[in-house]
Amino acid sequence: MPDNEMSPNRFELLYGMLLDAIPSSVLLVDEKLHIVSVNRNFLLKSQRGETRTVGRPLAEVFPTIILENTDIERRIREVFRTGTSVKGQRMTYRAPGVPIRIYYYSILPIPTNQVMLLMEDVTEQVRLSEEVRRVERHLASVVESASDIVLSTDTEGRILTWNSAAEKLSGLSAHEVRGQYFFQFCGSNQQQTVRKVFMLMKSGNESHTTEFPLVTSNGDSILVSWVFSPMKDDYGQTVGAVVVGRDLAERRKLENQLRQSQKLAALGVMAGGIAHEIRNPLAVCYSAAEFLLMDNISTEFRNECSRKIQAGIQKASAIIENLLRFARPSPDTEMVQVDLNTVITDTLDLITNQARVQQIRIQLELEQRPVLVLGVSGLLQQVFMNIFLNGINAMPEGGLLSIVEEISEAEVAVRISDTGMGIQESDLDKIFDPFHTTSPIGKGTGLGLSICYSIVQQHLGSIHVQSSPGQGATLTVRLPLL
Amino acid sequence: MNGPILVVDDEPDMCWAMECILRSQGFDVVTVDNGEEACNQLANRDFFFVFMDAKLPDMDGMDVIRHAHAKRPGTVRVVLVSGYHYHDDPVIRQAIEENLICGFLAKPFTHSDLLKALPTS
Repeated sequence: MPDNEMSPNRFELLYGMLLDAIPSSVLLVDEKLHIVSVNRNFLLKSQRGETRTVGRPLAEVFPTIILENTDIERRIREVFRTGTSVKGQRMTYRAPGVPIRIYYYSILPIPTNQVMLLMEDVTEQVRLSEEVRRVERHLASVVESASDIVLSTDTEGRILTWNSAAEKLSGLSAHEVRGQYFFQFCGSNQQQTVRKVFMLMKSGNESHTTEFPLVTSNGDSILVSWVFSPMKDDYGQTVGAVVVGRDLAERRKLENQLRQSQKLAALGVMAGGIAHEIRNPLAVCYSAAEFLLMDNISTEFRNECSRKIQAGIQKASAIIENLLRFARPSPDTEMVQVDLNTVITDTLDLITNQARVQQIRIQLELEQRPVLVLGVSGLLQQVFMNIFLNGINAMPEGGLLSIVEEISEAEVAVRISDTGMGIQESDLDKIFDPFHTTSPIGKGTGLGLSICYSIVQQHLGSIHVQSSPGQGATLTVRLPLL
Repeated sequence: MNGPILVVDDEPDMCWAMECILRSQGFDVVTVDNGEEACNQLANRDFFFVFMDAKLPDMDGMDVIRHAHAKRPGTVRVVLVSGYHYHDDPVIRQAIEENLICGFLAKPFTHSDLLKALPTS
């Protein structure tokens, strides 16, 4: 008979087996709060035997402290009274000799006038989520405590987070900027560049370093050095960007002082050429004036002398004006549109004298059209001045200094080559280091190229050197075109 | 010794000034503005005296003088005229000791300085 296969005995067995297979603790409790049955999982976790558990009151099985803290007896009575279950309550249970465990428990009414107490061990999950939260809190406090601006954006450049340094420096709260495009807080000149950087980060892995002002809440701007890094997920997909910014006010002040003193040192190197160039017109003027003091000279000769004096004075004062312009500290203004050709020819005017006294020919190949870049012309002039002077100093026996400009799609490359002694291979990777010099004492400070490097970097460009001993050297300065 | 005075300077107005001063004293003057031309002149004719600029576009004035001494030893008397050097410049002192030049004239100079540099015979 099929019914025999499912005799009450077999039901009980199956019921017991199912209950024991459940990886949670299950207790059935009657209205008197006595335990009717428990599964194996509960006995294991509570370190109790079945005989000491089944038929006993709940108060005997659970430690008093748990009963008090969870108020579980009242909750069970409530379930009996209302017939509605209690779900997802937390309980910390410590059986003797077993480390503390954390449970989520539910009390579910069942039609046999009993309730089922279902206890799930969530110790591990709780530990993990607490760990995650701890790490998150730690990271958040790292970001919050940083004195640098740290912000994150989505791939389009919309701000997601904005730390307290960012709030303090910009005067804008995280709440105000969240969801806004980051470029909106950059100077109008930089917005296009910043958008381009975000575009590049979508597909690339590289960080981008640049400097530009951040517009503050009161409309002022502060100069900040920025590093943009793409944020990748586990699959290498860009999911956003991290932007770190450092207030440059203090550093810029020191840098300006350093650049200025280096510039004056460069002027020292040019002193010979300058002296030669100024003393020539002075000598002509002197002679002409002396002729004018003579009696019985013709009107024609008198006029000629006067013209020579005027021309000489004009020549000398043009040289002095060039020097003054170069020696004057570059105003720390915003970057503006600059014609690189003008920068290069103005700089060449200053060093032609020095080149001449060293029998150095200069070959110049510039683009016909103006080459427009975003920059500070005084700083760019210092870059070329240093490179030209380095080339000249490398050719004490004379030679050729060639300056060739090449335009490609997005950038201009200026190649400055000399025919001098070249650079030792061991020195090649040091030449942009501050205070690295192969010049004799008094001839060079070792700062020139390191300053070039920092200025070019500030202009979002790059500078490279190529050389072998005896073969001269070529320095290439690359700058993004406007 | 006979012959004109050679003035070598790459600055035309410098040549003009020196030529005027020397001509006013009755000297015959030849001016050239580069080292190569100066070498040619010095190799091919006698000059009573030479005023040589220290820095020429193609050569160092001192090298022109060395060249001339090598070609015609003992015949060339030179004063170096320069805005680049100063009176007690070691380079100048050494050149005088080596008998490369017989004197030095710093730019700017007075007319009498220039004339005093000339030998009396």
